[in-house]
Amino acid sequence: MGKRKLIPIFALIVLLVGSLSSIYVYATTINSEYINVNDRDYTIDQLLFIGEERTIETYTGIALDDLIVKIGVSNPEKHEYTIIAADAYQKTVKWENMKNGLLTKNRESIFSDLPKSFRVRDIVKIEVI
Amino acid sequence: MEKMKLIAGILVFGSLWGFSECIIGSALHDAGLPAGAIMTGLFAVVLMMMSRMLYKQRGMQIGMGIVAGTLRLFSPFGGNVGYFICSAIAIMAEGMIFELIWYNMSLDLNELKPLKISSSMGIVTAYCCYVGGYIVTQILTPVLSSAGFHIVNLIVFIPQMLATGLLAALIGGVVVPVILLLKKLDITVKDRLYYPTTIGVSILCWFIVIANTILISST
Repeated sequence: MGKRKLIPIFALIVLLVGSLSSIYVYATTINSEYINVNDRDYTIDQLLFIGEERTIETYTGIALDDLIVKIGVSNPEKHEYTIIAADAYQKTVKWENMKNGLLTKNRESIFSDLPKSFRVRDIVKIEVI
Repeated sequence: MEKMKLIAGILVFGSLWGFSECIIGSALHDAGLPAGAIMTGLFAVVLMMMSRMLYKQRGMQIGMGIVAGTLRLFSPFGGNVGYFICSAIAIMAEGMIFELIWYNMSLDLNELKPLKISSSMGIVTAYCCYVGGYIVTQILTPVLSSAGFHIVNLIVFIPQMLATGLLAALIGGVVVPVILLLKKLDITVKDRLYYPTTIGVSILCWFIVIANTILISST
């Protein structure tokens, strides 16, 4: 089959994959006002009350390491932490990173020692692994 | 084509790409728009297509991606050098993916003449560049950071990456036929003006980006 036939077929496949994925993402996006931390649900205001404040450049929020300690995770340095967004975007970080991270009031994670792709927006879960 | 002329071309088109990513891309992002898809579908595809049309050289877009990605590392909108390594990696990957897709296409681009073919090629190019760049950066950025790479993080997000690429594909489907129309225009720079123009534009792009970085980090 020549290029002239293959290229439109590939384009159709691309449009089909993109459209079906959009439907799947729309159907599976989680809408929750809670953030699940180590299997317990909290509102962002509760978390702001629990954790101590930290500022990184122009961002202010709850210190992630302090939050983990205060919700009662034992041996926090022996765990890794997966931060999960409503759209399934997730990033796993180490305890050393948590010590340089914060959770903003807008439910966003900021790390001073990690690249921009570790900024997870609209967080719904922080999993301790 | 003279080697120096080609290098100057890579530099100017790569700098324009990097400049648009840093300034326009960041502004789009701040405005809450899907910056990544717009930047790839519009700016990256336009600049790579134009360079392909004007220079008719394979491999040029890889060089452009490297120049643009390097400039992105000095981005003015927040963070330290390294903070935008994810965007820089994605841009470099996009240059390579473009080159792979277009490798077997004729350099005069005559085979793209029917609208159906040029539009389809735009859709495939923009989508593959965007999704491919996204996947590559989701692997390499964690590998290069202290957090490390976890394959589960990539797998669960694949549907979202495939979905957001749809906008880039639709933009690419419109942009490529439009760019091909420019083939009819005679865009040439007089030989004596070629180097001053290309080098001047490149320096201006880098100067604005770096000056912005300094200005923003000092405020």
